Amino acid sequence: MRGERALYLILGVAFALTALLILYPAYHALELSFQRLDSFVSEPEWVGFQNYRTVLATPEFWAAFGRGLVFAGVTILLQVVLGIGFAMLLDARIPLKPLVRGLAVLPYLLPTVIVALTFQWMLDPTVGVITQGVRLMGYEYIPWGENSTVAMAMVIALSVWIWTPFVTLAFLAGLQSVPGELYEAARVDGATGLQRFWHITLPQLRPVLTVVILLRAIWMFNKFDIIWLTTRGGPLNGTEHLPVLAYRKTFELYQVGEGAAVSAISFLILSAVIFIYFYVFPLDEKEQ
Amino acid sequence: MTTLNKNKRHTLSRRTVMKGAGAAAGLAATGVYAPFVHAQTKTIRFLNGEPSRESVRAMRFAAAQYEKEKGIKVQMDTVPAGKAYERVQASIKGGRPYDIATLIFVGDVLILADEGKLAPINDIIRKYDWGPKILFPVNGDNYWYPYDYNLCWINFRQDLYTAQGLSQPTDWDSMKANLAALQGSGENQLPHGIVHPIGSNGATNYTAFGYMWANGVQLFDDDWNIVLDSADIAPRVSEYLDFMAGLTDYMPPAPVQAGWPNLVGDFQTDKISHTPGTGRLIDTMNVRMPDRAANVGSFLYPSMRGDKFAVNHGYDGWVVLDTAMTDEAIKFLEWFSDEHLINFLHTSPVHYQPTRLDIYEDPRWLAHPDLETFSHIIAMQKQVLFDENVIIRSIDTEGPAPDVRAGKIFRSYALPEMLQNKILNNMSNDECVKIAAEKMRETIKA
Repeated sequence: MRGERALYLILGVAFALTALLILYPAYHALELSFQRLDSFVSEPEWVGFQNYRTVLATPEFWAAFGRGLVFAGVTILLQVVLGIGFAMLLDARIPLKPLVRGLAVLPYLLPTVIVALTFQWMLDPTVGVITQGVRLMGYEYIPWGENSTVAMAMVIALSVWIWTPFVTLAFLAGLQSVPGELYEAARVDGATGLQRFWHITLPQLRPVLTVVILLRAIWMFNKFDIIWLTTRGGPLNGTEHLPVLAYRKTFELYQVGEGAAVSAISFLILSAVIFIYFYVFPLDEKEQ
Repeated sequence: MTTLNKNKRHTLSRRTVMKGAGAAAGLAATGVYAPFVHAQTKTIRFLNGEPSRESVRAMRFAAAQYEKEKGIKVQMDTVPAGKAYERVQASIKGGRPYDIATLIFVGDVLILADEGKLAPINDIIRKYDWGPKILFPVNGDNYWYPYDYNLCWINFRQDLYTAQGLSQPTDWDSMKANLAALQGSGENQLPHGIVHPIGSNGATNYTAFGYMWANGVQLFDDDWNIVLDSADIAPRVSEYLDFMAGLTDYMPPAPVQAGWPNLVGDFQTDKISHTPGTGRLIDTMNVRMPDRAANVGSFLYPSMRGDKFAVNHGYDGWVVLDTAMTDEAIKFLEWFSDEHLINFLHTSPVHYQPTRLDIYEDPRWLAHPDLETFSHIIAMQKQVLFDENVIIRSIDTEGPAPDVRAGKIFRSYALPEMLQNKILNNMSNDECVKIAAEKMRETIKA
C-alpha cells in the first residue's frame, strides 16, 4: 500500500511537471495560433482558423517547409550512413580504442553556439582559416554566405559534424549485442564483408536504426539554433525553414498569431509523420 | 507534534518531514504576499539596455544616489538592448512589469503604448528643448524619453587622407575616387576601402541605406502607400543600387557575411580605410588606441550629385510602464534627467549624442575632455541637427508619422534583400525594386 502511494506521488509530480512545463506552454501556443495579436502583451482577438489560412496561402511557408525537409532529410541520411560507418570502425580492432572512441564523441559535447561561432570565423571571407587554406590551394574563397545552396550545404555539414557522434554511439552500442556466432557462421558459408553487413549487421541494428532515425527526424526538423546562429535563415531566405519562419513572424514581424500557427502546423506535420513511421516500423515486433 | 522523549527512541519519520515541508511551504506562500513586506521599501525596477561596464556603473551610481537622497531603491537589471523588448513583454506577462525600461525600436514603443502598457511622460518632455526627429509622440502624448541619437555616418582614416592629399568626398564619384586611391598594397594604402553589410540583418538596415536617403528616397507617401517603385522614387533607388554594386569593388569579399564585428574589427585592424558607424567606434578606439582614434575622421552619407547628405537614424530611449510605481518612476526619471543624464552620456561621450538641445550648451557636458579632442565629430553631429541639407532617416522611422508599419518593414528585411538581389543575384534594378516594393506592401498588409 505504501509502495502504491509512493508510486502515485511520483506519477503525480511527473504529471504536474509535464503539465506545467510542456502541456500548458503547448496549449498556450495553440491558443495563440487562433488569435490575432501584435505582441505577447497585446489584447488578443479571436480569429478562428484565419492565421492558418493566411500562413498556408503564402509561398514563403511552403518554401520554408521544403527547405526543412531537405535539411532534415539530408542530415539524417548522412548522419546514419556516417554513424554506421564510424560505429563499425570503432568496433573493429584498432589501437588506442578507448581514446579514439572518446575523441569521436567530442563534437557532440561542444555547445552549439561555440561550434557555430567557431565555424563562422573559420569561414570568414577575410581571415578565416578555411578561406585562407582554400586560397593557398589556389582556389577562390567559398561563398557560403552568398549562395543559398552553398549556405544550406554548410549548415547541413555542420549539423552532420555535431550530431553524427550521437548516432555513432547508438550504433556502437547496438553492435555490441550482435552475436559473434552469426558472423562466424556467415564466414564459414563464404559470405563477403558486404554480404555480412547487409544480411547480419543491418538487420540486427534495425531496432536501433528505427529509434535513431525517429529521434534525429524530430530533432532535425525542429532544429533552430544551428541555422539561426550561422545564417539566420539567409541568404535570401535560402536556409529559412519552419522554426526560423515561426521565430521571425513571432518576434520580428509582430505577427504572434501567425508565428504560432506556423509552429502548430509544423507540430501537426511532425506528429503525422511519427504516427505513420510507427505504423510502418513498429517497435514492438517481438511481441507480435 | 513530535516531542523529544528520553525514554523513547526518537526517529524522524517521513511523515514528519512531509508535514514540516508542507507547513514551511504554506508559510512561505502566505508570507510572500503579506502586505507589510511590500510596505517595507519602495523599489523602482529599471531595465537598463546599455550593458557596457561604464554605462552600468553610471546607472548603478545614480540608483544608489537616489536611494540615499529619497529613500527609494532603484533596482537595475541590465540586458543587451536588443533583448530589452522581449524582457519587458515577459515582465508584463509575468505580472511584475518593469517600471522603467530601455527600448531601441520605435515600433516596440508604439505597440506598448497602443496596448496601454506605458505611462505618458509629457511633463518631463515639455521641460526641455529637443532636437529634430527624435520624439515619437502617439496621438499627442509622449511615452518615450530619448537619450541619444545613435546616428550612423561614415568614419575614415584621416591620416591616410592627409598622406594622399585627399579631401572629404561630397558625392558618390568623389567617394569612389577616394576609395580607389586608398585601396592597394602600396604606401598609405589598405587592402580594402569600405565594408557595408548586405545580409538580412540589423547591421545592413542601419549602415547600408544612408546613401539612398541622401539621394532623396523615401518609402511611404503621406497616405502610407509604398512609393519605392513609383516613377519619382524608383530612378533614385536604381542609382543607389548601381552605386552599391560598384562599391563592392572596394569591399572585402562576401559582404553578405559581414556584421557588426567586421564594421569595427576590419577598421581597427587596417583592412579597410572607411567604415559606416557611430561615435562608439571612436570611443572604443580611444580607450585602447587613443592615437589611432584621433586619426579618425567622419563625413555624412553623400547623395549621388552631392546636393544632400544623410545620416541613418538610430535613437535609444526610456519608457515608463503603467505600474503601481509609475508616479515614483516618473519622479526618478525626471531627477535622473536633471542630475545624472550627463554623467551617463559621458560614459561614451562621442557616441551618446544628446537629444536635448540644452545639453549642448551645458558646461557639465562640455567639461568632458573627449569632446574637445573630437570636436570635429561633435561639430558634425551638431550640423546634422541644424543643417537643412542633412536628412535624418531610417527604415523604422519612415512615413508621415511614427507607426508600427515602418517597424514591420525594417524587420521584413525587404531592403537588404533588394541589395542581395542586385549584388548576389545580378538582377536588374527594376526587378530588385519591384520585388522589394511588393514585399513591403505584403508586410504592411499583414
